[in-house]
Amino acid sequence: MALSKEIKELSIKRYKEERDWFKLNLEGAELLGTEEGELSARLLRILLESKERVVDAVVNEKPFIGGYFCNAPEIFTSMGLPWFMVMETPFLAASAPFILEDIDGAEEMGLGGDLCTAIRLPIYYIENNMMPIPTCCLGLIYPCDGAPMLHQVLMHNSNWKNVPLYSCDPPYTSDERAIEYFADELREMTRFIERHTGSKLELNKLVEVCERSNKVYSIWQEYMETRKNVPCPHGWEMGGAQCFAISQCFDVGNPKSVAWFEQLIKVAEDRISNGMGAQTKEGWKEKVRLFWFDIMPYGWIFEFMPWLEEELGAVIVNDMFGNFPYSLIDTSSEETIYYDLAKRNLVDAPMIRQARGTAENFAEDIRRIVKDYKVDVVIWPGHMGHKDGAATVGIMRETCRELDVPFLHVGLDLFDKRYTSIDEVKDKVVTFLEGHGFI
Amino acid sequence: MSVFDAYIRKVEEYVKALRTDGQEAREFTCRETHDRIKETLPVRVGAKAHEGIILRSDTYLELGNPLAGSCAFVLWTENPSLMDDGKITLLGPDIPESAGESLPFAQVLIVGGEGLTERDHESLVQHQYISDRVEGYMIKSAPDRVWSRVSKGAAEKGFDFETLGKALVGVVKSEEPRVQAMEILFVTASKEAVQGLANLAVQIRKISKDIVKENWKIRGYDIECAADCSSCGEKQVCDDIREVIAIRKRKSQGSDTGNKGT
Repeated sequence: MALSKEIKELSIKRYKEERDWFKLNLEGAELLGTEEGELSARLLRILLESKERVVDAVVNEKPFIGGYFCNAPEIFTSMGLPWFMVMETPFLAASAPFILEDIDGAEEMGLGGDLCTAIRLPIYYIENNMMPIPTCCLGLIYPCDGAPMLHQVLMHNSNWKNVPLYSCDPPYTSDERAIEYFADELREMTRFIERHTGSKLELNKLVEVCERSNKVYSIWQEYMETRKNVPCPHGWEMGGAQCFAISQCFDVGNPKSVAWFEQLIKVAEDRISNGMGAQTKEGWKEKVRLFWFDIMPYGWIFEFMPWLEEELGAVIVNDMFGNFPYSLIDTSSEETIYYDLAKRNLVDAPMIRQARGTAENFAEDIRRIVKDYKVDVVIWPGHMGHKDGAATVGIMRETCRELDVPFLHVGLDLFDKRYTSIDEVKDKVVTFLEGHGFI
Repeated sequence: MSVFDAYIRKVEEYVKALRTDGQEAREFTCRETHDRIKETLPVRVGAKAHEGIILRSDTYLELGNPLAGSCAFVLWTENPSLMDDGKITLLGPDIPESAGESLPFAQVLIVGGEGLTERDHESLVQHQYISDRVEGYMIKSAPDRVWSRVSKGAAEKGFDFETLGKALVGVVKSEEPRVQAMEILFVTASKEAVQGLANLAVQIRKISKDIVKENWKIRGYDIECAADCSSCGEKQVCDDIREVIAIRKRKSQGSDTGNKGT
């Protein structure tokens, strides 16, 4: 059943507001006049193009997809289909001015304050017709139990109930058999997309996208190597989050994303060659190297991270989204492509990697990152929605004790600054770093 | 008998087979005691010996890029007589003759000590990532393999696989006093030669995961769901899901609308 013009227009109203918020950010980035500012501007242009493609698809009734990360976006990108991430707002636009109002709206709907805000917000948008309604939707039923709940909402919402939904079935284990099983699930996903969008997957185009994606991932890894340097060439402003957004969300396997990554590594190498750290202010010194083991606090990032870095000399040298365990895709055959895409999307990607199966990756990632990145302190922010991680705090703490690295567990909401106030978070961090003699 | 003893023999047989097939091998011996090794090497070894990173422009050669072929594992045993202490074997080209190359790379560390147990496993595995302990040598962060770089400066000083092997022996023996013997295998001959060891590594990783799981259990943590189907209250749900998957597979040639509602 076709959607009315009014419903369609309403469904992209918030999406357009988000787009305009990013346009404003772009104007700001263009004024910075630094190489990092230029990188941010290029990233925002890529993001805006992605949003425009979705708006165009809604307005002109072209097929497009609602999806997530970890849905092997190389597949539908190579089919030329626009797509957006159902959780896009909390993940990528949580600093937008309307977020707190929307969280309140979600609470007024009766959604519990203990439900992950990244899930509450899309439920609120779907139920209030504030999200583009795609031709078909790809779900993600891992790593947490909250995600299937979101899918139940979109299956029953009156505007979405005719949107076909496909969710790959993720095995619990990560061995060869599990990866092969998941590769079959991705094949089935491809057939599903073909059926509902009328687009056909052409192997030569998939190879082309995967090869460019490989280039992007290779440079990303090279970039992460530069962050091991003391001082770290970039802090919170540039790093894993941006690399992840471009490589897996906005512009998968596109020449523009390759160019962005080439510029990123050049800037980082230049900074190292010139002995520059995350800040260039005279007298500033990198005093403590932090591993922020989660998503960045997007809802209040600008009120916290600059303070952490500028005032305390505490630099985030890596975070969960900057952690790089990815393998490249072997493009020699369709079989190898699906196998490697399955591995990347089932085993390697952030949050999925740690929280889907057995808990040893929490410990293993800490062990390796602390050693490789010369980390002084591990911070587990303790996001209220990450109950999977909450169950492994003991394992993380024990691992840090073994490594003789202080471990700070805060307890907060990465998207809502009212859950634990920013002042309280700052107080905890300062007390902890002072107590350990770092500042 | 230790859990990896059979794999130590398999590695030995693998090397023998490659040599029988005509693969040239070079052998070096580390006779020095671990506290004297550092003095014999052309580069600094030990804590903070290499604090910086090696940029692309400073790279003499790269080892173990996954596209070239890459594999690394550690085998330990409580029976040191299973190895030739201090022996370093190289199958394939050495560093000084490979300027600008990206070589396939396998690194196998075999360590023995009468007191070694499963409790030492994780610590021993970590030692293969020698990280910032060798001047002019950098390991990239990639799980389950050693993907590394040698700097131009280190190459000029004479850094080769004998140096790397001795550095590894020095670091492991000084940090793990219970290690009495250590043997190392490096393979750079070809992607295929590395792949043979990578196939062994799959099995070794499975054993390793089981050891890690048991170690956490001893400390009071279950890192995986210990319930089985017969005792699980949700068995019916799983059975239903299996049934749905079977239906979906049967319908996969048809024009169903995904798995909505299932």
